This record gives sequence, structure tokens and C-alpha cells, in this order.
Amino acid sequence: MSQSPSTSRAPARPVSDRAVSDRAVSDRIGIIGYGSSAYEKSPSRSEAGYMAEAARAALASAGLERSAVDGISVSSTTLPPDNAVTLAETFGLSVSWASIGNAGGAGAVVNVFDAVHAIEAGRASHVLCLAGAAQDGAFFRGRIGRFNGSIGDYLAPHGFGGMNGLFGIIQRKHMQTYGTKREQLGRIAVDQRANARRNEAALLRKEMTLEDYLTAPLIADPIRLFDCVMPCSGAEAILVGPLEEAPSGKAVAVRAAAERHNHPLGEVSPLRGGWEVFRDDLYETAGFGPGDLDFVQAYDDYPIMVAIQLEDLGFCAKGEIGPFLAERRMTFDGDLPLNTGGGQLSCGQTGGGGGMIGLTEAVRQLRGEGGARQVAGARRGLVSGYGMVAYGHGLSASAMILERAQ
Amino acid sequence: MTNEVSAAYPEARVTPDNAPMLKRWREAGELVLQHCEGCGKAVFYPRPVCPHCWSDRLVWRPASGKGTVVSFSVIHRGLPAPFDAEAPIGLAEIALEEGISMIARVLVADGEELESGAGVALVGKADAARFPLPTFRIAR
Repeated sequence: MSQSPSTSRAPARPVSDRAVSDRAVSDRIGIIGYGSSAYEKSPSRSEAGYMAEAARAALASAGLERSAVDGISVSSTTLPPDNAVTLAETFGLSVSWASIGNAGGAGAVVNVFDAVHAIEAGRASHVLCLAGAAQDGAFFRGRIGRFNGSIGDYLAPHGFGGMNGLFGIIQRKHMQTYGTKREQLGRIAVDQRANARRNEAALLRKEMTLEDYLTAPLIADPIRLFDCVMPCSGAEAILVGPLEEAPSGKAVAVRAAAERHNHPLGEVSPLRGGWEVFRDDLYETAGFGPGDLDFVQAYDDYPIMVAIQLEDLGFCAKGEIGPFLAERRMTFDGDLPLNTGGGQLSCGQTGGGGGMIGLTEAVRQLRGEGGARQVAGARRGLVSGYGMVAYGHGLSASAMILERAQ
Repeated sequence: MTNEVSAAYPEARVTPDNAPMLKRWREAGELVLQHCEGCGKAVFYPRPVCPHCWSDRLVWRPASGKGTVVSFSVIHRGLPAPFDAEAPIGLAEIALEEGISMIARVLVADGEELESGAGVALVGKADAARFPLPTFRIAR
């Protein structure tokens, strides 16, 4: 789609995309456990401590012992200089496969995708995928200017104030290009808050009206307070293994997944991302499309990025997200259940765990364990990731389609 | 032209890729951009290789220092010191005359407002030394 063919042959889309998404399907290996730690505004323990709590819950939900784990994968931007191997040592695990991601908030989806492949290839039998952080707002502000080289060298010296200004630029561009209104984007934050009010683990559960959203304190115009996530502490865990080992009715199959980094090329504040490159193949591989999904867990660092993901993932045409949102209810019982636990916007952002909160919530829903926020009859869902913000925007996009295994 | 500067800004890190740009800015208040001798395109941020064609024949050429605001944000909160004392701060995507975009701070004087489509120019030599990176003002 974005690549210019170098020969006279001009395939409809790059061959590599097909190869990647076709490999995603596994009838045998999928998600057999999940878990979340408590979320806290300030850390009471280390990052590994939160991960350990989430990991214990994931093993318990799978009905497996710690000794079953022989692979570990972690998505975290705060763990280095520690990594997946040192984490295995902390947890007393001897593993045959260890991996750490590099795609920020898009990383957890990629890690689970990789874990399925690793098991299919015989590198491990059960992979524990972890993501999270031990941080608070002050910690986050202290490191945001060093997030990567281009931010440190070419944005932080301007006093860019973190990601808010960059997404303010993107949101304003979307508004002036397509006529998108804050009243429309605000529906995402408001409906997610309604979901969070049914999730006792969410840190932000106070009722929010559209008026509250519109009049919230100005942060980075047009970004206001309820467009922003609250950095916090916590972790998420997913256990990947043989579907047949999951408790009856609790196995979740991966029908398709994809990642794309650095698309589009050469734009600093794009209104699109890598999802548009792999969208068609993703649905083709899954065998069903956006109209067949029971919910969406999209990466919600800002409502404008949820909006762009929904466009790029084919829920509406590019630029038409405003009227689309105005006509839909994104609550767990609405016609487009979105971030059914409240998402990062209401639960808080646990660093790299922000890329996994959608996965654990999706698995929770597909197992029928959503409690007061259960999507009735949830069978199929989509999780998308976004991350590694660099010079102006996030470089990484990912998505995964999950289905309750029969 | 804006609020008084209360403390030193963070210094931009000098790297093998960006040293000529930072030096020219600091000493002359001018913007120089990498241009690729392989494909002719301008490049920002500075890199060791042309991202368009992978040529390493990148040469520095003076830029006009003029451009147009594509989109912008006005940042009121969450700024680190010393920028917090100067809030709000304008940050814009600027389409440079050389055909590439840059994100940079745009100073806004009393009575002025940032607007998409507005012309911007570098702050000029007298003010340049105060700012770690090429910084713009609304063109008058």
C-alpha cells in the first residue's frame, strides 16, 4: 500500500504482509490464562512485584503451576537495564525462550503474537507474557524527555512537555482536515468512564459527563485533562500455551495478528498509522471483519488515537470518525463496546502495561468473566496497540483478533 | 518578545549527526538542513544516512528559515522547568520552504495568536543563542 514496487510487477499489496498474517493462525496454540495486578497511583513495590501479582493470577486462571512456564516475554520501556532474562532470574524460572519487545504500547500484542510462533516452532511450551511499570506522574515526567533519541535531541530542548503537545498537534490537524469535533471525540472518554464505573480495579471511576470532558482544564490545546492518561503502577499478564490445556470453555484462540512500524514514512504528525497497511489481510486471515466483532479494545493514550485506529481498522472511512462516534454507544452494552474495562483513560497507564490492558480485558470478556461489565455473548474481539512515540507520533501499530475457542 | 527567561534551557545534545546544525544555529541564528546528493531531498531530523535512498552523501545547506504552520498545540500544563514559567508555549508542525516538516517552538508575542496556515520565520540572530534549537516566530 505504501511501498513503491521496484519492478514492473505491481502486486496489490506487499507480499510480506500476506506472509506475516497467514502465519498468525494456530489451531493449537493460543491464550490459556490472563491476570492483572492491582493498579496504584504511586508504586508500593517494584515493577517485577506488580508483574509477579499479574503472573500468579494468569497461572491460576489457566489452572497451571509455575513449573509449566518455560518461556518469558516482556513489554516494558521502564525495565531496562533489566530484561526478560533477568526477570526470569527474579522469578526463579529456567526458560528455553526469552524475549523483550521494542514497540512500546504496541509491544504486548506483538509479544503474544511472537509467543504463539515460538511455541509453534518448538522453542517453548508455555510462554508468560508480561507488561507493566512501577511509576507515578513525577517519575513519568522525569523520563519522558529521554524516551528515545529523537525526542531527547529534537523535542525536549523545546520544552515540549511530554506527549500532550504532540497529540495536540495531531488532534488539531484531524479537526481542521476532517471537521472532527471535541464533542465527538469526547464520547470515547465518557463512555469508557461509564465502563470503568463497573470495574473496581479502575483508578478513575468518578462519573464523567460530556460537559465535564469539554470543560476540563486545558493541558495542550486542544488536548484537555480527560484526553490524557494518568501514569500509574501495575502490570498485566497473558499465558500462551496449548489451547487444550485451558479450563473448559476458557481457551481463547488468536485468529490473526499483525504489526507495522514506521508507517507512514516521512510524516511527523500523520493522521493514520500502520493499521491501514495490514487491515485487509488481518480480516481476511481471521475470516471475518469489523462488523462481526463483539467488542474492540483499542490503544487509548488519547481519544484522537482511538479515533484514528477505528478509521484505519475499517470501522469507518478515513475522516468520518466524528459522525461515526456521534451515532454509536461505546459502553459495554452499546452497539460498539470499546475498552470495556475503562481502558487506560480510566484505569491509568502502567507504562508498557498500557499495551496489554486491552488483551487481558479481551480475554476476560471472551471467557465470560467481565462481571458487571460483561459484553453479552462476547465471542470475537479485536485488540489494537500503538506506541513508541518518537519525533511527532507513535511509530508502532499492532492488532490481534481473538475468538473464544470451541 | 515573550516572557522573560528565568533559567537556562536544557542544552541540545551535540551528536556527529547534528553538530553542524547546532553550531550554525548557536553562532549565526541560521537553519542549515541536510540535503542528500543521491536523491536531492532535504532531511530532518539529522541522520547519518538519507532515509529516502540510503545514500551517505548528505551535505549541509542553508535553509530559508521560513515556513508555514501546518498544525499546532498551545501547551499550558505539564511543562518542565524553566519552560513552565513561560507557559503557554506554542509547539507547531512547520512545513519548511525546503519541502519537509519540522516540529518546533513558535514564540507568540502579546496580542498574537498561533494559527494554522500562518507564516513563520526564525527568531533571528539576536535571540537565537537563548534557544537550544531553531525556534520560530510568526512572520510579520
